[in-house]
Parts: sequence; C-alpha cells; structure tokens
Amino acid sequence: MIEIGRLCIKTAGRDAGLKCVIADILDKKYVLVDGQTRRRKCNILHLEPLKEVIKIPKNASHEAVVNALDEMEIKVTQTKPKQKTERSKKKRKTSEQLMAQKEEKRKLMGVFKVKAKKEEKAKAGLEEKAGLAKEKKE
Amino acid sequence: MTAPNKRSRRLRRLQVRVPGGRTALHYKQRKPGKAKCGRCNSLLKGVLRETSSKMSKLPKTRKRPERPYGGNLCSKCTRQEIVNKARQYAV
Repeated sequence: MIEIGRLCIKTAGRDAGLKCVIADILDKKYVLVDGQTRRRKCNILHLEPLKEVIKIPKNASHEAVVNALDEMEIKVTQTKPKQKTERSKKKRKTSEQLMAQKEEKRKLMGVFKVKAKKEEKAKAGLEEKAGLAKEKKE
Repeated sequence: MTAPNKRSRRLRRLQVRVPGGRTALHYKQRKPGKAKCGRCNSLLKGVLRETSSKMSKLPKTRKRPERPYGGNLCSKCTRQEIVNKARQYAV
C-alpha cells in the first residue's frame, strides 16, 4: 500500500483530515508527504491510504504535487510564510546637524536669560520703590 | 448574619492569609468541570479548566488542541472518525 504517489489522509496532528501524497519513502516507518498538508516527514501509522495513486517522480517538488492534485480536483490552499518586514533603523545625526541643534538650544537659553534679567530689573525697581518709601517715612 | 448570596454553596470558600496576619474567608467562583470526550467519555487532555473571565483573556490555541474535533473528541476517537470517513469515501 505504501508507495510513491499514493494518495493518503493524515489521521493525526494538526493536519489530520487533510489529503496528501507520498513523495518519498525514507525507511520502514517514515515517509515524506506533501499536498494539502505541510511537506513533512510522517509515520506510516498516521496515514490512511486511499485507492488512488498519482504518477509523480521520487521526491517531487511541492509545485509538481499541487499540479497533480489539481487534476484530481483536490484543491491545495497556498500558505506562504509571511514576508519579513525590515524595521526602520534610527539614523545617527551628523556632526553638522548636532551643531545646529546646539545652536538652537543656546538661542532658547538666551530667551530665558532675557526673561531672568527682566525679572531682576523688575525686582530692583520694587526694592528701589520700597527704599524710597522708607526714605519718605524717615 | 452573612449576606444571602454567601450563605449558599454557589461560591468556593478559600482560607486566605491576609497581609495583616489573620486568616480571612474569601469567596471565589467555582471552576467548571473537566472536559470529556463526546464519544468515549474519557477526560480530554490539553483543555483548560478556568472561569470564563480567565478563558476570555487566553488565545484560542491555548484552550484546546489544534486539530479537527480538538476540544470535543479525544485523539483516539478523532483518528477513528477520520479513518471511518476515509473508508466510506473509498467505497
């Protein structure tokens, strides 16, 4: 019963209930299956052979098996692994950009300094006024 | 007198040691019964037994085996079912 091209149904695991074709015989116990299931090594005890045999070469590629199954009207859904998307890497700033950044910071600091000066002046003005008031009292 | 809803045995009782050092009675929801095979009535493996609030937070793949009839039939019965169907189809 176990021969290359034999249509089987997998009875165990997450591919259970799916149809597959024996693509290669590895040893007494194990065969290589492909088709609706994933292309994988499989114990013969986990296969239920059917009466159909497909003509495929030994160790046939996945595409060849899929084409052969299409003729038998057994649809195989393509499940390609997701393509890896590259993460955007952070670019290092050039020395010129860093200099520009520093200058901007300095400008901002300058703004704060001006404010501080104004506050000092305002305080001084109040003190002077206070002093004047004291003088008047005297 | 305790609250009426705590007088029945609907809730599980737990003796909990609280941070203050004393033991207190805590009331908790009971867990559901163990899952059984729909065909041979044996206990299913890999099916979680938690309260619904915890189950809703878990992914589907952690709640039952990832195969046809997973969480309903045991692995032996699943295999038999598939083989039977295959043989019917062959005839």
